[in-house]
Amino acid sequence: MELIQWATSPWGQEVPIHLGWVLIWVFAIAGAVFLVGHAIWAGFFAKEETFVEPQVAPGFKERLPAKVKRHSLTARVFHWIMAVSMLVLLFTAFLPLVGVQFAWVEWHWMAGILLTASIIFHVIHASFFLDFWAIWPDRTDIADAKNRAKLMMGKSAALPRKFSKYPFENKMFHMAVMLAGLAVIFTGFFMLYRVRTPFLTRDPYIFFGDATWGWMYVLHGLAGVGFITMVMAHIYFAIRPEKLEMTKSMIFGTVSREHYLDHHDPERWPVSDETSAAPGSATGD
Amino acid sequence: MAVFRDVMPAFELFQPTSASDAVTLLAEHGSDAWVMAGGQDSFDWLKDRIKRPKVVVDLSQVSGMSGVRDLDGGVEIGAMTTLTTLVGDPLIRERFPILSEAAGVVASPQIRNQGTIGGNISQDTRCWYYRGGMPCYRAGGNVCYADTPTAINREHAILGADRCVAVSPSDTAPALVALDAKIVIQGPSGERVVDAEDYFIGPGIDITRMHVLKPGELLVAIRIPATWAGTDYYFEKVRDRPVWDFPLVNIAAVKVVNGGTIERIRIVLNGVAAHPWRLAQVENAVTGKPADESTAAMAGEMSIEGAFPLRHNGYKVPLMRNLVKRAIRGVQEA
Amino acid sequence: MPEFTNGNIPVVTGDTPPVRGKLVGQDYATPDMVAKVTGKSKYSEDFRADGMLFAKLLLSPYPHARIVNIDASEALAMPGVKCIVTKDELPGAADYITDLGEKIEADKRSDVGLAMEPMYQGEPILALAAVDELTAADAIEKIRVTYERLPFVVDPFVSLRPGGPNARTDGNTWARPEAAPGEEPGPLDVVEVKWTEEDFKEYAEGKMPMGKPTDEWSFGDVEEGFKNAALVLDETFATPNTSHQALEPRTCMAYWQGGKLFVHVGSQSTIQTVPAVARWMNMSEDDIVVISEYTGGGFGAKIRGTVQIVIPAILARKCNAPVMLRASREDEHNIGGARPSVTGRVKCGFDKDGRITALDMYTVADNGPYARNGDYSNAATMVSLLYQPPAMRWRGITVLTNTPPRTAQSQPGGMQGITLMEPLLAKAARQLNIDQVEIHKINAPEGKARFGPPSGAGAQAYTTSCFMKEALDSGAAMFNWKERAAASGTRNGSKVRGVGVASSTFVGGSRGFDGLLVIKPDGKLYIQTGVGNLGTGNYSDSQRVAAEMMGVPWEKVVVTWGGTNKNLPWSCASGGSQTTHATTRAAHAAATDAIAKLREIAARALGGRPADYLVGGERVYRRGGGASMSLAQAAQRAIAMGGRYDGHELPEDINKITATSAKNMAGQGLMGVARDNYDQDGRAFSFVAAFAEVEIDVETGSYQILDFLAVADVGTVIHPSALGGQILGRSMLGIGHALGQKWVYDQHLGIPLAKRFYQNRPPTILDAPVKMQWGALNIPDPETPVGARGIGEPPVASGCCAILNAISDALGDEIFRRAPVSLDMILTSLEAGKPVTEPMTAHV
Repeated sequence: MELIQWATSPWGQEVPIHLGWVLIWVFAIAGAVFLVGHAIWAGFFAKEETFVEPQVAPGFKERLPAKVKRHSLTARVFHWIMAVSMLVLLFTAFLPLVGVQFAWVEWHWMAGILLTASIIFHVIHASFFLDFWAIWPDRTDIADAKNRAKLMMGKSAALPRKFSKYPFENKMFHMAVMLAGLAVIFTGFFMLYRVRTPFLTRDPYIFFGDATWGWMYVLHGLAGVGFITMVMAHIYFAIRPEKLEMTKSMIFGTVSREHYLDHHDPERWPVSDETSAAPGSATGD
Repeated sequence: MAVFRDVMPAFELFQPTSASDAVTLLAEHGSDAWVMAGGQDSFDWLKDRIKRPKVVVDLSQVSGMSGVRDLDGGVEIGAMTTLTTLVGDPLIRERFPILSEAAGVVASPQIRNQGTIGGNISQDTRCWYYRGGMPCYRAGGNVCYADTPTAINREHAILGADRCVAVSPSDTAPALVALDAKIVIQGPSGERVVDAEDYFIGPGIDITRMHVLKPGELLVAIRIPATWAGTDYYFEKVRDRPVWDFPLVNIAAVKVVNGGTIERIRIVLNGVAAHPWRLAQVENAVTGKPADESTAAMAGEMSIEGAFPLRHNGYKVPLMRNLVKRAIRGVQEA
Repeated sequence: MPEFTNGNIPVVTGDTPPVRGKLVGQDYATPDMVAKVTGKSKYSEDFRADGMLFAKLLLSPYPHARIVNIDASEALAMPGVKCIVTKDELPGAADYITDLGEKIEADKRSDVGLAMEPMYQGEPILALAAVDELTAADAIEKIRVTYERLPFVVDPFVSLRPGGPNARTDGNTWARPEAAPGEEPGPLDVVEVKWTEEDFKEYAEGKMPMGKPTDEWSFGDVEEGFKNAALVLDETFATPNTSHQALEPRTCMAYWQGGKLFVHVGSQSTIQTVPAVARWMNMSEDDIVVISEYTGGGFGAKIRGTVQIVIPAILARKCNAPVMLRASREDEHNIGGARPSVTGRVKCGFDKDGRITALDMYTVADNGPYARNGDYSNAATMVSLLYQPPAMRWRGITVLTNTPPRTAQSQPGGMQGITLMEPLLAKAARQLNIDQVEIHKINAPEGKARFGPPSGAGAQAYTTSCFMKEALDSGAAMFNWKERAAASGTRNGSKVRGVGVASSTFVGGSRGFDGLLVIKPDGKLYIQTGVGNLGTGNYSDSQRVAAEMMGVPWEKVVVTWGGTNKNLPWSCASGGSQTTHATTRAAHAAATDAIAKLREIAARALGGRPADYLVGGERVYRRGGGASMSLAQAAQRAIAMGGRYDGHELPEDINKITATSAKNMAGQGLMGVARDNYDQDGRAFSFVAAFAEVEIDVETGSYQILDFLAVADVGTVIHPSALGGQILGRSMLGIGHALGQKWVYDQHLGIPLAKRFYQNRPPTILDAPVKMQWGALNIPDPETPVGARGIGEPPVASGCCAILNAISDALGDEIFRRAPVSLDMILTSLEAGKPVTEPMTAHV
């Protein structure tokens, strides 16, 4: 199995040029195995997790609106733009490599630019208008993750707390997506110099030597095949019944009061008692 | 490992005597196999040690794959028919003189004696970066060396480029597309027939191949329907040397002109893109119009819309425009 | 009309009656003709020796690098692989002691065949010998070389820019260091020259920058000349780099036998290859045997064989087996030599009649990485001769680049210099409204024409004779110039025709070589020659002078050539257009010596004084009839008499190689052996006027040559059909420079893109104009006994420039600024109304 494709540079040196595309199948199959494995585990073996019941002020539950605001419209629009561009990127990247031939390059770089633009927006938006730290695992998450793992394996451990706005798994996924995303965006940006676009002069020699360029293509490919697995997992969880409420929130913006109380710790994710929070308020988003 | 560009490396040579044996061999060896017809393209690749097939299937001994025969007022041409045969074949000369003219300007007399029609339309591009063994897009890499600030791309594409700017070097291909020929392909799962226009593909679709033949498939024949038999035509090849040279641009047009009015027409150029470039919109625009200077000028201008010249191939734009003009109104005499 | 033409119109021209004897001036079949047309002739590559190994070259992938490590262990472990050789095992160039005892110091920076600091992409680094080519090729691929990349440059002007890269670590040009007052400048050295941004300010407009030169000379008052001019033109033009493209690649084979080195190699000079190999191998000339019966073209790149011969020689010694280095076409691109591109800027003043008043010329050449190539300087010398400017200044620089080494190619420097001038001259004629032939005539050299830089005493060298004007007149008449010029430029639909004329010149001969012949008792005349046989026919043609002088029918002449084990004399190299001049003189000297000896023998045998006897009709006979003896009898007597008659005593002034050969042949018959000691007033140059008609299609830019004529002033015609072949063949070489032959490099990668025939486009036989004519004036040169001069080189520039001038005559001056003129230049320039292709970027 060829993990990296090598070629001879114009100056006779062995340089990497691409990831070994057999890894498309490796990552796709790995994704599928995980999905099936998880489905079997979840269906037959998983025990329901128990959490520490959070302490809330009396009347808190009653004062909660029926729908708890989770994602602002801006955040939702961002998510779906990113999702569409990601899917376009994945399909335009990998379909031709598995035998479905079409002119993919323009779609790919345009989707890449859309993705980049949306992510730049997201970084700014999340940094200055949202609770920037909401998506990052905190100490509680890490301590709880250990405990949950122990409990899952039948060992004794302290009960974990309920989640903040984003469950620990969500946060980890976001981190993986972020790393892979930065890799494809960083490498993809330079690759724009290697195709014909209306805004850059094509110059494959700019910035790097043959070998460095080659490693960038390898990294781009690796992140790309990584996305195959990640997107498969993401969609799988999105349509799992127990997560459907969260998926709906990415469409409608809210989760039900019950969902909120079942899964989240109001102390870690405080919400206001109004049905809709003002845009940008730290609590609502 | 040092790069060495001389002496063919060893390979296993098969010389099947029938097309079906050839197909069986190709199916057996898949992408390890290299199909060789006249060898004019193959030997370069092999001697340069750039393409290194394990198996070469030489078609020179296959019977029944060469010659021209009548097919309902059109012709069927065996893929192994030499270009010299096409130049002189009475049936081709009578019905499709554009093809014998196109075959007659390929390379040099010696190469025409050896080269086949199947090979001529299936040959690889002559981009000198690619042929130099560079790891470009077409070779599976991630660069086009021919479209850089320092690249010498005088012979490259002005149209249809997608990362790769190589051009199809065939002289007969545009004639066959103009004649609406059908390409007969045999493969492990039987025969399929594709329009000549669809036989050739650009880099957007597949950057590493110039035609739709897949490993294991064999081009066995070319069928030209009677549609354009005996019609008026225009063919011109513009090249640097009058002999032994690939086209910079060539044009093949077939037309029916009645009372000075263009009734139907097909115009195809090569050397401007990675595949024969058909001017379907121009054809529509000039149909029903008089075959005169103003129609020619309009067609010429229309043909170059969207052309994107590189640093050294800007001349192909006026050249293409002028050739299209000529295809409509003919060469200007005094 | 010229005396000789392929139109067969024999009309005597000039005052001196032409030499035309039974042999001289007659067509005949050369001794090798049947072997050549039947394929029996054996070139170096056709030889096989028992146990012969094949060598292959590992080439540098970088345009400039230093080799850090070579790991050939895997290759050497392969079955069938015998050994490798790198530069470290080559002897390297040795100092050379000339005949006169003068020591020529070897340039330690010259190309020795292999490199540890490769200076161009494709430079051989090592050679490997194996039992067959496939094994050798597979083994080369298994060698791992580690390189340290070094800066490189493939464009002279890039190197000249401030801060531009140098091709060599020690500099970018050759120059003599500036001498202290009153002292001689030191030897040539590699130095760094950079020009200023200010120098480059007109570069973008296509005007060649003229920064500090390394060489310059002048004569006359140039400024005054410009002041008096009615028209001053200032033009930049560039000529292409072109490979020699001999059909025979430089394959060579070597083996050792009895301590002697035997080499089979294509060479322009069989005999002169011996001292060359001796220098490269650092061994005695006595231990070297060169076999070179047939050479498939040289054009200056095989003058004394090729330096690569040391590779199979060393491998053969190391592996103890014969070794053949079989060169591919790509190897030819790399090591086969090339003409340097010369970019020039010429400022030229004309009076109202078209006579040049002053000429200021600056040439910049693309030197390649090794020894100084003199083309940039020769260019100016030839221009000074051909156009006879009353005042001229030349400045020049030859810039080192990381491209294959340059070698003299047919009309080295002359071709480029004349090509820089001719389009300018044609433009001047149009602006001054003067006929193109007339402007060539008014500036043409004549008789003892002066040329080149003045010597220390202020005197210029001059020619032996020159009939340029007559050649122009003859050609104009044959070509029907006036009528065709009047119709030039007329549009016919999309077609337009133009006619062009160009003149040219180059060195037409050298002297001082030896002749060696023996009349044996079988009555035959055995003539030895050491020139190479590369298709010109000279090895045989010139010997007809001796046969003619001695009255021996050609059937009784045996010419021996092609192997230094065959007792060859020290002969001229077949190159530089020296050969006909030099070898006819040597033949004349040897025949004169033989005739003198015959007369002495006859006088002794038959009575009377030697002066009473004449030689002719295969006999020595007494003036006015009476006693005579056959040459066979005289040969017999010569053997009996011994001493100087049969070669046991030899003249002291002949070359030691001739002496060795003569000694070997001593006692076989009557020997004629002598050095060419004939006086000569002036230096021999030959001249050509060429005429062409082209038809250009303005809708495609393509053009074809309808008609071509070249008329030569080469003195006495020796062998008309061979002369015609040379005139038209070399015109084609020049026409190739006009039509499309060139190098192409990617400047970022420093890598050649056009290495194959179909990519660098030398003209093929089917590119030759359908109608091609030649003529020769046949006016003997007064300064050489036979009257004959060489012709190989001069037709090159006139062939190229007749085409260039015909194109501009049809389309005007705003079309091209460099050669070759390809259809894209024509088309885009016509579209834009100005020359679009910029002239100076190298290798586009």
